[in-house]
Amino acid sequence: MLNRILGIVKKELLLEIRQKHTFYGILLYIASTIFVIYLSLSETPETTIWNTFFWIIQLFVCVNAIAKSFLQESKGRMLYYYTIASPIEFITAKLIFNVIIMWVMSMISLLLFFVFLGNPTTNSILFLVIVFIGGSGISLVFTLMSAIAAKAQQNAALVAIMGFPIILPQLMLLMKLSKVAFAEVFKNGAVIQLVGLSLLMNVLVVVLAMILFPFLWKE
Amino acid sequence: MNKSWWKILSFLLLIYTIIAGFLCNVPRLPILNETIRNLYFHVCMWFGMMILFGVSFYYSIKYLRTFQFKYDIYAHCFASVGSFMGILGYLTGFLWVNVTWITDQSQSIGSVLKEPKLIGAAIALLIYGAYFVLRDSFTDMDKRARTSAVYNIFAFAMLFPSIWIIPRIVGSLHPGAPGSDSGNPALDRKDLDASMRMVFYPAVIGWTLLGVWISTLKIRLSLLKDKIDSNE
Amino acid sequence: MNKLLLMTMFLLFSVVVFAQQKVEMADTLRSNGKIYTVVAVCLTILIGLFLYVFLIDKKINRIEKEIGDKK
Repeated sequence: MLNRILGIVKKELLLEIRQKHTFYGILLYIASTIFVIYLSLSETPETTIWNTFFWIIQLFVCVNAIAKSFLQESKGRMLYYYTIASPIEFITAKLIFNVIIMWVMSMISLLLFFVFLGNPTTNSILFLVIVFIGGSGISLVFTLMSAIAAKAQQNAALVAIMGFPIILPQLMLLMKLSKVAFAEVFKNGAVIQLVGLSLLMNVLVVVLAMILFPFLWKE
Repeated sequence: MNKSWWKILSFLLLIYTIIAGFLCNVPRLPILNETIRNLYFHVCMWFGMMILFGVSFYYSIKYLRTFQFKYDIYAHCFASVGSFMGILGYLTGFLWVNVTWITDQSQSIGSVLKEPKLIGAAIALLIYGAYFVLRDSFTDMDKRARTSAVYNIFAFAMLFPSIWIIPRIVGSLHPGAPGSDSGNPALDRKDLDASMRMVFYPAVIGWTLLGVWISTLKIRLSLLKDKIDSNE
Repeated sequence: MNKLLLMTMFLLFSVVVFAQQKVEMADTLRSNGKIYTVVAVCLTILIGLFLYVFLIDKKINRIEKEIGDKK
């Protein structure tokens, strides 16, 4: 089972590398949005604004990068997956793959943020860890949303409509949490609690995806 | 007639709510004054909404277990009446906020809207808004039922941790919420004394049952429409 | 000891009394009985609402029977 999951992940990655245009598309999307922010702000933004911008960009990058993960699949390819894997294996592979993609995207956008908008963090490593946790959380939710939206006809907008209210609390949590990296003092143990909460949310999403995806799978 | 005992119960409870709600003694609290009686009406809308959403969630699970089409209709109707109650809760909330939370000029409605319970309520309403949009985007009945049931279950399951998390991030104006740094002029759980409880709990049950009644009417109408469609 | 207890009791009591005097409620509305008008209005609306829902309920019942007979 593990082998098959890894196989699908590997195949997806290969596909992603081979059809470079989608990857570059997202890359360009990140770059241009950050550039627009850079141009519209006359000076380097203060930490709160930097933080807010960063997470909102993450959200939109995720919607654009992950939303297509199911929408793009042709009927033929789905049929192929159907024959080689069980739904749980398939969704696991998809989740892993999307988390990896999101991590790459987050790294790139973080780098661009540092270049264009300065680095207001006092503890960059810590911030990086938070970005990884947050990125995985956002991508997990949107993977499932994408799977649902793929069943509907008018889909891309639907992903955002369905996903935003669900991701909102997590996003607030992440914005709050990342203030740690901006040298804001937290109550004792509050950081651990916040990290634990966002990890728990991720686990919850994964479990729900495992339970619910098989119902979307059969056709 | 036996089956409709709860409709009569709802009727009696609501009559009791109005009589006792207006005439019984309530704690005398500053700023709230008589508006504390809104508890019997405004807060019940939220309780009713959450209970109806819960019922909708239950039927979505039931649908995925049995794939009987009627459960999809059940889930849809309960969700829509729940949203309706939520909207009523919002509207009444606006009225109440104007006299209690927005007491001095500097506080705008915008600052109040960041209040955790309001965020939670907004999320719930947005989720169910998305649920209805999702339903509308299908033409195939079976696919629609299945997909929207999946979304309903996922969204509802995510709603609870959200409602639990948000107050820990944003300070609350609502009374008795964890992390609320007091100084807010609303009522506390402690203030909800015995005489108010005597009215409040029946009121919640009464309003919820009314919501359920309206939902069942909607369900029966949809089922009838379905029958007629299939006969033709 | 006793004195202290009395003192605190007195203090607490006075606070309660103070709080009660300070908060303005619609006591006039209650004392002259006009509150009953409000209750009556609300009750009329509620009863009307329930009657309406009840009638819809009955109507659906009838239609359900009609369609059931046809089948």
